[in-house]
Amino acid sequence: MSRFADIDFFHWATFAMALLSMTLGVGIVAYLFWEGGPFIWNHGAQFLMGLDWFPDEEYGAAPMIFGSAAVTFLALVFSTPLALASAIYTSEFLDPRQRLTVKGIMEILAGVPGIVYGLLGVSLLSVWIRDVFNLVDGYTLLSASFLLAIMILPTIMTLSEDAIHSTPAEYRQAASGLGLSKMEILFSVALPHATPGIAGAILLAIGRAMGETIAVMLVIGGLDRVPEPWYDVFSSGQSIASKLGREAAETLGFGEHWSALMALALILFFLVMFLTAFGNWLIKGFRK
Amino acid sequence: MIQKVKLFKSSLCVAILFLLLFSSTSAIAKENSLRIAGSTTVLPIVSRAAETFKIKHPNISITVNAGGSGVGFSSVADNRVDIGMMSRKISEKELKKYNKQKFNSHTLGRDGVACVVSSEIYSAGITTLSKEQIGDIYSGKIKNWKTLGGPDKKIVVVDKERHRGTRHAFMHYVFGNPTARARGARLVSGSNNEEQAKIAQSDSAIGLLSQAWVNKDVVGVALIHEGKKIEPSIENIKSGVYPISRDLDIVTQNNISDTAKLFIEFLLGSEVQPIIEKSGYVSIR
Repeated sequence: MSRFADIDFFHWATFAMALLSMTLGVGIVAYLFWEGGPFIWNHGAQFLMGLDWFPDEEYGAAPMIFGSAAVTFLALVFSTPLALASAIYTSEFLDPRQRLTVKGIMEILAGVPGIVYGLLGVSLLSVWIRDVFNLVDGYTLLSASFLLAIMILPTIMTLSEDAIHSTPAEYRQAASGLGLSKMEILFSVALPHATPGIAGAILLAIGRAMGETIAVMLVIGGLDRVPEPWYDVFSSGQSIASKLGREAAETLGFGEHWSALMALALILFFLVMFLTAFGNWLIKGFRK
Repeated sequence: MIQKVKLFKSSLCVAILFLLLFSSTSAIAKENSLRIAGSTTVLPIVSRAAETFKIKHPNISITVNAGGSGVGFSSVADNRVDIGMMSRKISEKELKKYNKQKFNSHTLGRDGVACVVSSEIYSAGITTLSKEQIGDIYSGKIKNWKTLGGPDKKIVVVDKERHRGTRHAFMHYVFGNPTARARGARLVSGSNNEEQAKIAQSDSAIGLLSQAWVNKDVVGVALIHEGKKIEPSIENIKSGVYPISRDLDIVTQNNISDTAKLFIEFLLGSEVQPIIEKSGYVSIR
């Protein structure tokens, strides 16, 4: 009889925890819609495509949307090849002890807080970028992209390595039995099998890159403008997270400025959701 | 044996829970604590004063945070802090947003805002600028130091976040509008510290900074006002000759705790005057 009661309690306790987690998640999204939705509804295209952000005068989100998209895209371009190559090497060519050491280091790096990267960015990276590219100063979209690339590299590398390494031994043995070389096994068996895992790693990295606030805020320059020409990565700029970091404390709680910032947050949420959905769609396509 | 371990674990959990509960609801903790936030210009005065105050009143804990004048005001208005620090007056828009509340402010001292340039630019001969020249630089009309007789380098124009008191005073002088746009800006920084760091890192930068932050890497230029060159020195600010100056205020809501009253009395008293002067500002008492 008492065993029955235990199962019930466990059932309800875990149900309550699950409900709490879901409520928190749904609640946050609902809050974003509640606070930022009306502003987007009222200002629509003017907000999404406006190029100037002057509180109490006009609120144009285009520079921030462009900045977030640009630094995330560049960060992926810089880090993914490097991360994948490291993952392949670690998975296929290192002995178990070396592999665990490398993975351990990567996992520690993946947990370094953003502010530490931000401070390194200000004191080292921005100076280096200014000197190497002969710029007027090192606080640019490119600096933010490099910094984000370094931040997401461990994540992509360690998760991709897990995916590649977890290719079942039978697949490898079967391929080897058919006469494939190590490289051929890698490219026609291991990597295709690891693709969902690698894609998942990249999606996780995108989420981190789009949401990273303080590191980007310190090195991106803080200027609300789309560069002219648009591909000038040596210009200073602004990302959504960085903008929120700089201005949210000034106008917390209510008012038009606050609604505009919440609308920006909602856009960031949509961007990440869209990229995640797009990534999942790609994975499904790959599976076929 | 297993029963003993289980008992130990559960009593440990209970003990920890009690500890957390007790510390978060401790009435004593709330009454004897002060939260202060706001302008980074006023911050050195208040945090040094808080250290001295703590020696006399060891049971009162004071937390001083930065954030800027705008954050200082909105934090006080939203009851997130007891005292806000501002290096400018409360603006009309801010009062309108909180029109159902009343605020009190007290002036601690005065400060001047210097137009600063990188030391390399200062040594190359740019030691004086007129209001029009500064305006042209910040609006993007002048892009290179050579236009002003300096070295052939692009000007790195460092602006500040819009709500900062230092920026209000500077823009009011240059453009006649405390929240003027600076279309020629290259970077936007936040606190005085951040601005000072960004100008020191560059060798061709211009920026706006409280004169207390001026040092050998970040030098304040003299302004041409009514035909005369006026340095951003303490004497000129004290006498009122330097054209960009502002009060350093602390702001509270109308009803404040006794602890806050005690600390404000201390701040307005004679013991804090030497702290104000040692921090590099002008004492008004």
